[in-house]
Amino acid sequence: MSDQVLLTTTVGSFGKPEYLQKARNANARGKLGESELNELERKATEEWIRRQERLDIDILVDGEMYRGDMVAYFAERLDGFRIGGLVRSYGNRYYHKPIIASKVGRPTPMTVDWFRYTQSLTDRPVKGMLTGPYTMLDWSYNEAYKTRRDAALALAEVVRQEAEDLQAAGARYIQIDEPAIHARPEEIDIAIEAMGVVTQNLDAKTISHICYGDFAAIYPKVLELPVDQLDLAMANYGYRWLELFDKHPFTKELAIGVVDVHSHETETVATAAEGIRKGLRHVSKERLLPHPDCGLKTRSVEESEEKCRVVVEATKVVRAELARQATPA
Amino acid sequence: MKTTVTGAYPKISDEHQDLRRALHRHDRGELDAEGLSRVLDDSTRWAIGELDWAGVDVINDGQVRWDDLLAPFARAWTGCDRGPLERFYDNNTYFRQPVITGPITTDGTTLVRDFEFARGVARGQLKAAVCGPLTFATLAEDHHYASLEDRTLAVADAIAAEIRGLGAAGATLVDVEEPALVAHPEHFALARAAVERLALPGVPLALQTYFFPADPLLDALAAFPVAQVGVDVRSRDTDALGRLNALRQTVVLGIVDARNTRVETESEVVDLIEAALKQVPADYLWLAPTTSLEYLPHDVAVKKLKVLVAAAHATGGVKA
Repeated sequence: MSDQVLLTTTVGSFGKPEYLQKARNANARGKLGESELNELERKATEEWIRRQERLDIDILVDGEMYRGDMVAYFAERLDGFRIGGLVRSYGNRYYHKPIIASKVGRPTPMTVDWFRYTQSLTDRPVKGMLTGPYTMLDWSYNEAYKTRRDAALALAEVVRQEAEDLQAAGARYIQIDEPAIHARPEEIDIAIEAMGVVTQNLDAKTISHICYGDFAAIYPKVLELPVDQLDLAMANYGYRWLELFDKHPFTKELAIGVVDVHSHETETVATAAEGIRKGLRHVSKERLLPHPDCGLKTRSVEESEEKCRVVVEATKVVRAELARQATPA
Repeated sequence: MKTTVTGAYPKISDEHQDLRRALHRHDRGELDAEGLSRVLDDSTRWAIGELDWAGVDVINDGQVRWDDLLAPFARAWTGCDRGPLERFYDNNTYFRQPVITGPITTDGTTLVRDFEFARGVARGQLKAAVCGPLTFATLAEDHHYASLEDRTLAVADAIAAEIRGLGAAGATLVDVEEPALVAHPEHFALARAAVERLALPGVPLALQTYFFPADPLLDALAAFPVAQVGVDVRSRDTDALGRLNALRQTVVLGIVDARNTRVETESEVVDLIEAALKQVPADYLWLAPTTSLEYLPHDVAVKKLKVLVAAAHATGGVKA
């Protein structure tokens, strides 16, 4: 894989199989025990590792079979958080929005066992997957800290501990997602400072996923976010963010979203390939990583798989073009 | 001083999840549109009952039928479709982006049925609400109008028609929810031109700003042809509390934070009211949450309303 270009990856979550969805519901109603649920989560994780290998994805994820919400999962395991009542996200979707009720702390690692298990299943690299401190703050109520900066820096400390434990467990890629980073563009310095705390001691490749918001409002400032790679939704936005790179060149590795995740239909291979070609105008083939726009947890297993298949097929089409250009007839 | 609410009330609580279940059943084809509508009416009754019971003087219908601030209009108007999900300002809450495909038109009756239903249920004074034209226009994707100006004024004409319809149905006060005005203060002249069109039907309007400080606009807001102006003095750093006398309209003071679960103490709220009373006579001061209570879990929303009403009574507000 070392000399491969256009390494393919995914953003983190996949659709959960029906048996796991049923088990999670039964567990929530107290009708299925933790160890039984855990067995099924491990089974679903292994199935997703095999699917990713079959699909020929280069950098794998565990698929987050054991997570519901990307903030609540951590909030439920950290000291200082309380899980609040239901709040509506959109339409008929509700979630338990966490409350930072007192000083936060990390009693034990939260994702390291899952990383170890998943990496043991495959020779391909698996990413460690964390939610960034600014997003943890922005998607929670803050009752405990005087300022949002204070809260973000306290959260950064616990995310740093988790990231360093992932690295010690062998993670070569650590993704620290910040989808809320543009919620308040005037606070981007806080997000940058907090990410600096998280990544300061890491040698692993660091990545941050950003989606659904006004990326233009934080560009080019977001290039100061101390990670090696930004992972951006592009297909959903008609690749409009690439135009920003004309004025201020993009200076990091770019994981580029080439299929929209919120529609049931998947783009054609040709359309996705065109997306990759657009990315190549701004970022070299060694630093461009095709993937779906966002996590696939809202899609079914079959839809998740189909979207990944299109990403990989499109990547192979473009790799072949690049190889032909490199060796003139 | 009267107490009031702005925007949506939580649609469900831990105990009352009828609507959530009904929508799931509707999605699965197990409940028809008529059955869903009955549950929506029941949930509206529930929300109105809670607002009445909390002792709020002037209530709305809780916007139970609204998916988001733009949805009722994007659904009903011709020339408008509903597009992808987008984040609603700096909330972890999403709305369907309206997509404008042609000239926007409406018969002006979009909200009439729901207003009449709510009036039949509410014990006290009921107000209606519409989306502010600048908010709708800045959040929509536009494939038809030539400029933000054209789009905003076209939306204003459609919303004015809705206000006329509400007035004919008996509405005596209509909230114009306009977060875009404080999110994009540079467009205040356009927002004012749009609100001037909303004032034409002659129904008293309350211009509600929220999410962002109104500080840079306080003087400009005085020139808007509305009966009331809503200002958040609680949820973010702001100097507005000391400058409320810049306004000439009744001030709807946002004094309990509808985006944080920490419940204010009565004395904290009383202090804010007393500071406001140094700037605005009591007859021109209404008290409210900073924005939609739907950003809070239901149990916290109820606690915030109780503090609001208690603080109003403690400082000489109208007693229910």
